[in-house]
Amino acid sequence: MNFFWKIIQWLLDKMKIIGAACLVGMMLLTCVDVVGRALGQPIFGSVEIVGYMAILSVVMAMPYTHQVQGHIGVEIIVRLFSEKTQTIIDICTGIISLILFAIVTWRMTVYANTMKASGEVSMTLEFPEHLVIYVTAFCLLIFTLVILRDIINNIRKLKSS
Amino acid sequence: MSPTTIGIIGITVMVLIFFSRMPVAYVMTLIGFIGFSIMISFKGGLNLLSRNIYEVFSSYGLTTIPLFIFMGQLAFNSGISARLYDTAYKFLGSTRGGLAMATVSACTAFGAVCGSSPATAATMATVGLPEMKRYKYADELATGSVASGGGLGMIMPPSVVLIVYGVMTEESIGKLFVAGIIPAIFVTILFIISIYIICRLSPEQGPPGERFSWREKMRSLTGLIDTLAVFGLVMGGLFFGFFTPTEAAAVGAFGVLAVSLIRRQITWQGFVKSLYETLRTSCMVLLLIAGAVVFGKFLAITRIPFNVASWIGGFDLPPFVIMGMIVLVYFLGGCFMDALALIMLTIPIFFPIVMGLGYDPIWFGIIIVMVTEMGVITPPVGINVYVVYGVAESVVGGVPLEAIFKGIIPFLIAVIVGLIILIFVPQIILFLPNLMY
Repeated sequence: MNFFWKIIQWLLDKMKIIGAACLVGMMLLTCVDVVGRALGQPIFGSVEIVGYMAILSVVMAMPYTHQVQGHIGVEIIVRLFSEKTQTIIDICTGIISLILFAIVTWRMTVYANTMKASGEVSMTLEFPEHLVIYVTAFCLLIFTLVILRDIINNIRKLKSS
Repeated sequence: MSPTTIGIIGITVMVLIFFSRMPVAYVMTLIGFIGFSIMISFKGGLNLLSRNIYEVFSSYGLTTIPLFIFMGQLAFNSGISARLYDTAYKFLGSTRGGLAMATVSACTAFGAVCGSSPATAATMATVGLPEMKRYKYADELATGSVASGGGLGMIMPPSVVLIVYGVMTEESIGKLFVAGIIPAIFVTILFIISIYIICRLSPEQGPPGERFSWREKMRSLTGLIDTLAVFGLVMGGLFFGFFTPTEAAAVGAFGVLAVSLIRRQITWQGFVKSLYETLRTSCMVLLLIAGAVVFGKFLAITRIPFNVASWIGGFDLPPFVIMGMIVLVYFLGGCFMDALALIMLTIPIFFPIVMGLGYDPIWFGIIIVMVTEMGVITPPVGINVYVVYGVAESVVGGVPLEAIFKGIIPFLIAVIVGLIILIFVPQIILFLPNLMY
């Protein structure tokens, strides 16, 4: 099982790097496009490429953001409880999150299948958008597994306390 | 059960789950999905999840968020803040309370390249607190000025909260940014006046610092040049319609990176840290927007926003009284919740009411940001206070939390005074955007 989680962690790290590369890419491409446009030579389809890179930078960062607890939560009440109670609450909310994002992952895959079947492509570059949606679904899957890992760790923590 | 009853139950359950520390974005998605499934159909709810989340991620308007956050992170991890502080320090430092005045001025200037309030507070605390400690400033004044000044980063464009408001209400982000400039400077002046009054009443709080010659003062102005150039490029481009907000953000981020590289003030580690911190914050913001969109769909079919608007309209109260009530709700909400989450949660309800009263949407955006700015410094969840507390521990050996909360009171009063003026004189906010293309 440890090997499985090591692969997930490896994937998470690599996804983070891809997300960062997309961020730099969208900045550079937009700047080159602005300069190109001023010189009468805009980059064909740059808006679409930047849009796709923006999606990738965000979805690739989902597992990482969850891992570093980067989301906003209201801590004011939970902080008053004992550590054990806090862990139990975290397990419960973790299970709810797991179910929610498992459903989101499943539906994103279904959505990608639908888009693939419809043969829809982007307006300028005629890029098959379902590929980006499949990548989004994959990132959601890793994100869901990271939530599962948190739940397992919290259960272990509860057992050892 | 009527749609409104289901909506009220949904909102109540959501607020209860918030207190479990579950991320706000997840809770809004969950309640939106369940509520929509109950009211329309389970299949409809399932489709809502995938389509709406993907639509948020693929919205071109939102690509501006990671780029502006990146710009702020680069500014945070390079030496820009120290140079800004140095300029303000040389000009204001020799007067009583001058270091605190320099801090809030530098906060506003730093806010011109950074859209995050805690980042502004953290970076200015690192630079300003040791200096104020050296000149024996009272802990209250030193930390209060940094924590409150940090909030100015949120009003001074570029501001992440303003982008989110613009996207949610379909208002021009360019106009919102331009509208934020004068109020940010206005509040800075009010903060400076507050510091002046504090030091006039008890001079020991802020003894005068070192005096510099005019030659040195003028030379320090070079520290402002890069920030002014980047800010001028970004805001000028937006103001005259040369750039879209996404392009302005990309050019701004590239500009800050170029300045940092030329001045050799960003390390590889600093650059990588900026990237990962940008990814984390962007993902947090976009998932929050996705959650708000899913929840908003549910809210719309419950007709709660419409009913609340007509209910309040039925009271026949003067518009400024209703506006005052809305401001109070934001102020109280801001005490317990993050500004961004609060805005996303409440905009679908309050925006139609405010529009119904005939107020300007750009003006309302700035007012909302000002009110939520108070939330970042008020207990118990004043994030800037905790940021300054954390930084103070590492740079000046710690300051009691109570001292920081006590220190923010005069600044809080200044924001309230500013807010009242801006509510009754909307032209202060609308003057610049009305000049735009």
